[in-house]
Amino acid sequence: MLVRAVALVKSYRGGGGAPVSVLMGVDLEVKAGEFISIVGASGSGKSTLLNLLGLLEPADAGEIWFDDERVSHLGRGAQARVRGTRIGYVFQAFLLVSSLTALDNVLLAARYLGRDRRAAHGEAMRLMERLGVAHRRNHYPAELSGGEQQRVAYCRAVLNAPPLLLADEPTGNLDDDHARVVLGELRMQARERGTSVILVTHGGGTAAHTDRCLRLRGGRLEPMNS
Amino acid sequence: MRRLIPRGYLFTVVGIAIGVAGLVALGAMAERITRFIQGGDRFVTGQISVAGAGIGMGAGFTGGGLLTAARIAELRQVPGVAAVQAQVMLPFNPSVSQFLTLTQELVLGVDAAVPSPNRHYRQMPVDRGRFLQPGDRRVAVLGADFAAARRLDLGAALPLGGVDFTVVGVLDKMLTAPDRFAIVTIEDARDLWLRRDPLLVQVFGSGSGGLVRADLNSGAAVGWRDGEDPDAVARRIRDGVKGVNVTIPSELSQTLRASTVFFSALLLGIGTLGLVIGGLSLSNTVAASVFERIRDFGIKRALGATDAQLLGEVLREALAVSLGGGGLGVLLALVIGTLVDWRLARDGQQLFFFSPRLLAFTMVFSMLLGTMAATYATLRIARLSPAEAVRRGT
Repeated sequence: MLVRAVALVKSYRGGGGAPVSVLMGVDLEVKAGEFISIVGASGSGKSTLLNLLGLLEPADAGEIWFDDERVSHLGRGAQARVRGTRIGYVFQAFLLVSSLTALDNVLLAARYLGRDRRAAHGEAMRLMERLGVAHRRNHYPAELSGGEQQRVAYCRAVLNAPPLLLADEPTGNLDDDHARVVLGELRMQARERGTSVILVTHGGGTAAHTDRCLRLRGGRLEPMNS
Repeated sequence: MRRLIPRGYLFTVVGIAIGVAGLVALGAMAERITRFIQGGDRFVTGQISVAGAGIGMGAGFTGGGLLTAARIAELRQVPGVAAVQAQVMLPFNPSVSQFLTLTQELVLGVDAAVPSPNRHYRQMPVDRGRFLQPGDRRVAVLGADFAAARRLDLGAALPLGGVDFTVVGVLDKMLTAPDRFAIVTIEDARDLWLRRDPLLVQVFGSGSGGLVRADLNSGAAVGWRDGEDPDAVARRIRDGVKGVNVTIPSELSQTLRASTVFFSALLLGIGTLGLVIGGLSLSNTVAASVFERIRDFGIKRALGATDAQLLGEVLREALAVSLGGGGLGVLLALVIGTLVDWRLARDGQQLFFFSPRLLAFTMVFSMLLGTMAATYATLRIARLSPAEAVRRGT
């Protein structure tokens, strides 16, 4: 078992200051190499769940385990290390750093781990070649199309070969061709490299490409067919 | 430029530059006033100024009547006195004012045969040409502002009392009183005095009072021997030589400083204003530029950046931006100040003085404040979770 979430609870302050419960005790287990999707209506808490699993924000209650390590209760520095070494993110909005070139954006993932820059550079170039964006390496995000930005973001997410990939609506801003490329890559990561992939989407079409599909409803996860 | 200044920081650098330019310009004005006050103080404390007793037309930094040759001879006998240089000091333009100030244009007649007794100005700093020599007649050495205001240079003619004097030297900028002097030999100054004052001509013509031409001195600069206390020597002159006005150097210094209290207050106000305006502008710009990158912080933390790594990154950028903005601001102030002073030089004025200490202080101030502002902003952002930072920055 790679990832295990136990009784995750999260609420936000609403407009009037009253708490709005988003997640009310979410349990989840993801095996190594498993490709799962989580679907749900807008505002159901899919992205929040992904943020908690990716240690991008703290849960109000509950625990998150990576293998045998309870990562949800680690300190800030240790969590940063976990994010850098064990988690890759692909976001709908790409989230590239606008002041860096495509190549430097990909290399960011290696920079904070202190990886050898030359080795990381070679690896980044091979990845970008494979995804068809190597020729755009010196361009800034604003100079790239949406599909190119998402492929650059994907390269960044997998550069450190993390055992867990989190993808939040990764095809939401892409046309069909680019969406197929990204989904194919995620599937390849799971099947050929044993990476666990958790994909969040609001559409059932994308979910059909995954091993297992869960629905987030009423703050809890349930199997898609229930 | 792109290697020095991180991409996306151009407006930040420009914003800092404007704040720093304001700081440097205000500081340079304050420095100018400081140098003026210090320069005047340095000049008058380098000598003991003596004039004849009574109320005459003025005697440089003292007030009094004629200082006769006999009195000058007596001065030389006072223990502790090293040298006495007779002088004639007259307003350049007698129709404007007889009141002597540090800003008035003066004609100074000196005895070129006697070395300058002023301990702080053994030799006047000559920028072009030469200083007066014994035997010179109808030649003048001009202070920097005096020459600039009239666009006079070596070989030019300076009319004094209806007689043309040839400019043989122009002094370096001293940022104090001599900048506005026209220096001639004492013989020429005596002639000028006589031409201007018909009463004096009558006195000399009638032979009454036994006055001779050598008695025609408005004062004298007195130097003291090594190891002597100038105040003590001045008091010895006051007690031992009758019929003279003596200024005690330290008292004159205090008087000068007291008369410049307003300028000192103005200086403090300008400096404080410069620090506040420049400092606020700089820190606000740097902090704003960090807050603008809140989304990037969220992304970088999602990729595994620790707080220390982010802080290091931001500080490096803040230093580069502060240095770049500070340097550009200094350059901007130098260009503006030089242009303004170039225009003012036609009137013999100088508004700015860009001292090395001011420029060094500005750069250090910029870096320190930029670093502090960046650290503050980074620590504020670091409290946010990566997701919250991305949300707020989007």
